[in-house]
Amino acid sequence: MWLPVLGLIIGVILGLLTEIKIPDEYSNYLSIAVLAALDTLFGGIRAQLQNIYDERVFVSGFFFNILLAASLAFLGVHLGVDLYLAAVFAFGVRLFQNIAVIRRILLTKWSVIREKTEKN
Amino acid sequence: MDKYKKNISFTLITVIIGFMLAIQFRTVKEPVVRDTRDTWQLREDLIKENELQLKLIREVRSNEEKISKYETELKQSKEQVLRDTLGELKAEAGLTDVNGNGIILIIEPIYEELLLGTAVSTVSPDLLKRLVNELNMYGAMQISIDNQRIINTTVIRDINGETKIDGHSLNGFPIEIKVIAENAKSADKLFKRMQVSKSADEFFVDNLRVKVVKPDEMIEIPAYQNTIRIRDMKPMDSEKGGNS
Repeated sequence: MWLPVLGLIIGVILGLLTEIKIPDEYSNYLSIAVLAALDTLFGGIRAQLQNIYDERVFVSGFFFNILLAASLAFLGVHLGVDLYLAAVFAFGVRLFQNIAVIRRILLTKWSVIREKTEKN
Repeated sequence: MDKYKKNISFTLITVIIGFMLAIQFRTVKEPVVRDTRDTWQLREDLIKENELQLKLIREVRSNEEKISKYETELKQSKEQVLRDTLGELKAEAGLTDVNGNGIILIIEPIYEELLLGTAVSTVSPDLLKRLVNELNMYGAMQISIDNQRIINTTVIRDINGETKIDGHSLNGFPIEIKVIAENAKSADKLFKRMQVSKSADEFFVDNLRVKVVKPDEMIEIPAYQNTIRIRDMKPMDSEKGGNS
């Protein structure tokens, strides 16, 4: 479990150390991609906790969601409609749902462990 | 093994997410440079900038003064006078290109005679000399024949059956003679005179026709290309001729 956390930290450090800066016009795309990535990440964690984790679904979902979100934002820019809001909304709702499920699973696990310890 | 593999892909993706997050963070959290100076600081800065401006203006002024000083020195110096005189003399001697109002004479063979089988003759130097003299008489200032500038020492002569102007042979037709007059009015006068001139008739005898054209725009006469050789002249001694 600690390996993904370590990966996250390494990624952040790498990002902070490199002098890459996204131009202002493209920061929209990056933000929506980050949102999609976070959504996939939490989806993956939830799937793992529910024991329905499939690596192919996770990896393909990660890249596909990012691409979809970015292309939606791109289309929105060219149509003059803030389509990226749709992506933000969808990912936001899913993020909340996933986190809620994760919380419940963790709560039940925790209560089960506590009951066990109390019984003992 | 399977779990290990699963963890690897998960880790890779978290690395990517972290990277993206960090970059997004850097992009969004650009340190906003706020102007936090109060009135007095602003005033001080303004004074500083004003002083800088004053300094720059002073510098500009001193440089301009220097330039004008140099210019007046140049004007007053003898060198400039000499340069001016040299330029004038060169223009007079025909060593510069000249632009001006004028006329163009075109000498060409008579085509009707060519059809009858007459051979094309060259322009005889006597005729050309006569034409040049006539042009000079009627107020031509600068003349060029076939783009060869005619100056005071120009010779027009027959060398082995070829008419040559200072070594340039005239063997192609049509021959263009450009003439520049003093101004537009005298150019007009020259044009009219040349239209009725007698030398055209003399050219006609040699099976040549002289066409007189007066272009609206300025015509250009090239400078004399050879060096001017003066053999039998030498500068006067200043003692003998007096200091003038």
